[in-house]
Amino acid sequence: MDLRLSDEHLRFRDELRGWLAANMRRPWREELRDPAATEDSLIELRRGWQRRLYAAGYLGMGWPAEWGGRGATEVEKAIFEAEMARADAPPILNILGIGLLGPALIHHGTEAQRRRFIKPMLSGDEIWCQGFSEPGSGSDLASLRTSARIEDGHFVLNGQKIWTTFGPWADWIFVLARTDSKDRYGGISFILTKLDTPGVTVRPLRQITGESEFGEVFFEEARVPQENLVGKIGEGWRIAMTVLAFERGAVGLAYSERFGRDLRQLAATCRELGRTDAATREKLGRLLVDIEVMRANGIRMLANLADGKVPGPESSIEKLFWSEYDKRFRETALDLLGPGGQLVRTSAGARTDVDWAREFLWSRAGTIYSGSSEVQKNIISKRVLNLPQDAR
Amino acid sequence: MKFDLSEDQDLLRRSTRDFLANEYPIEQNRKIMEQDPRGYEPAAWQRLAEMGYLGLTLPATVGGQALGTVELAVVLEEMGRACVPGPYLDVALAAALIAAAGGDQHAALLADVVAGRAIVTVARLDAPYSGAAPTPLRADVGRLRGRKYFVPFAASAQALVVTTVDGLHLVDGPFRPTPLTTFDPAQRFGEVALDHPARPLGPATLLARHDALAAVGAGAMLLGIMTRALEMTLSYVQTREAFRRPIGAFQALQHRLADALLRVESTRSAVYRAAWCLDAGDPDAPLAAATAKAYAGDAARLVCGEAIQMHGGIGFTWELDLHFYFKRAKTLELHYGATGDQLERALVAAGL
Repeated sequence: MDLRLSDEHLRFRDELRGWLAANMRRPWREELRDPAATEDSLIELRRGWQRRLYAAGYLGMGWPAEWGGRGATEVEKAIFEAEMARADAPPILNILGIGLLGPALIHHGTEAQRRRFIKPMLSGDEIWCQGFSEPGSGSDLASLRTSARIEDGHFVLNGQKIWTTFGPWADWIFVLARTDSKDRYGGISFILTKLDTPGVTVRPLRQITGESEFGEVFFEEARVPQENLVGKIGEGWRIAMTVLAFERGAVGLAYSERFGRDLRQLAATCRELGRTDAATREKLGRLLVDIEVMRANGIRMLANLADGKVPGPESSIEKLFWSEYDKRFRETALDLLGPGGQLVRTSAGARTDVDWAREFLWSRAGTIYSGSSEVQKNIISKRVLNLPQDAR
Repeated sequence: MKFDLSEDQDLLRRSTRDFLANEYPIEQNRKIMEQDPRGYEPAAWQRLAEMGYLGLTLPATVGGQALGTVELAVVLEEMGRACVPGPYLDVALAAALIAAAGGDQHAALLADVVAGRAIVTVARLDAPYSGAAPTPLRADVGRLRGRKYFVPFAASAQALVVTTVDGLHLVDGPFRPTPLTTFDPAQRFGEVALDHPARPLGPATLLARHDALAAVGAGAMLLGIMTRALEMTLSYVQTREAFRRPIGAFQALQHRLADALLRVESTRSAVYRAAWCLDAGDPDAPLAAATAKAYAGDAARLVCGEAIQMHGGIGFTWELDLHFYFKRAKTLELHYGATGDQLERALVAAGL
């Protein structure tokens, strides 16, 4: 056992800390509470921030050098995420492009596709959204029905995608579409579609937070050139599954940093309010212990990556842990804060340190997106515990 | 960076597992737990000494192996897994405390511990119930008078480390404790009435490291306990059939087993990280140790409880070994720094 970062990783971390100190205008929470901030201005802020990270060489770090990479490993990527969380840096804008589509193009795309798409993806000039979920296909994604008919060198898309994060701001969407209605898994293809294609309509959906970060995308006889197919026809499911594995890197450390910062605020507020009674201490203590367990899980994951181990289904444990914790944390925070905790950011009397009301609402999303808690438990019981196919 | 055990540590794990399978088979453990008032069997204890387990973390000058907390955690995890009764954890903690106090005058006692000739444990609690007004002990011209509760294996102890408001004292036995019989047959507790000469051992500040070590040690045993309870349950749900299929095929059970695995693996991360921090002198050690114990206590109770539930009626019988694990888990949760104390320690260590 050795849980110390290597000298090389320490150097990387310290360099990044120095860069953040010199280049980050102010923490994300301060950007959010700026009275002049609007949804659009925050999007542009994230785009600009992404450009600076890209110029400094911090995006696509693990990709081949010609695509902006620097031969970085999963360890450096995890350190990067943890440091971004620690500094409360603004999130980049093209999360889905860089997190999901980039790896898909590098592993399964053509040379021409890489040349066409990767640079503007990294620079934030083209924003991507993900066209996987449909109104009738969520956890059971392979039941998707959006169809792609081949017609004189084009795919003709018909159907609907939903819960499309960044849909309202994106330029492009990567779509899972059915090219064979009889083959459940082998009949799905991975197709890149420009959102201003005739026949494609994006509608924002209002979320329970009141924001519209996601939307729905409709396809009506939308014609997409056949060269926008990633991989071969029928390989979409396989590509999507390998790509989703990239989405779940070692995130435990980053989440423990983020939650840890909010917990320090919560504890300070409780002190300020004179809430130092045993019941409050116990609640704070339990919140803290779970964060520290998350950190231990994150360090273990990081150490395993550094040790050359490929992350397996244990990333399901990490996801389950942080997303379920998020709900417990935000609920407990509102209990401890009393009536003031429910005040929205713009209200008189709202606290300025953490937007507790928004966090409380947002915490409902984590156990649903990117594989719900139930899906994660299915993965754990099948692939880790080897339990038999379930009877429901 | 590496989370996995080193080759030597892994060898220790494997050899300990084999050793315990031979020397501490469950049938024999049950016999000790159910019938032996001492709660351990001297010949088997002697075998632990011969194999070097009793001086695992102690310096070579007293015959110890001078290994670290990670190695101690490995052994304790295996002991929890094999449901080994007796004072191993208590003696390891007391001996480490005496060794930390330093001074040549205790070398003979430590050598006796390493050789299996002496049992020493720590007498800590000043009251049997929480909330009851404690009357903390005070040393008075080299003599200790008063009562200590839930003293582990007091009836077998040659000496006790006794905590007082003025620091730690070493008191020689024999003691004639009133047995405090809990539902955990693997443990022997006593109420000790002290009116004994006492030698000062060291300041109360030594307890900070001791508490962290106790938290990690108990956490490691809890890890072994819940690991085994989950193993037993996984094997049961794959063989037991209901409605013409193995009950492990029902999603209602699968999701609870997935939750149990999350708790077991998260405990593993927390316990071994804390052990490593203690060995590395990492500033996070106190927080990591309190975290490990607080989390492990809850996790083991839940996992063992779920194990009983999923076994159904047979899970509630004395015949199945599971209840020994369930009981050990609860007793370990309540001792070596109960959850409430660990939460407060964690908050203080984190500056909250």
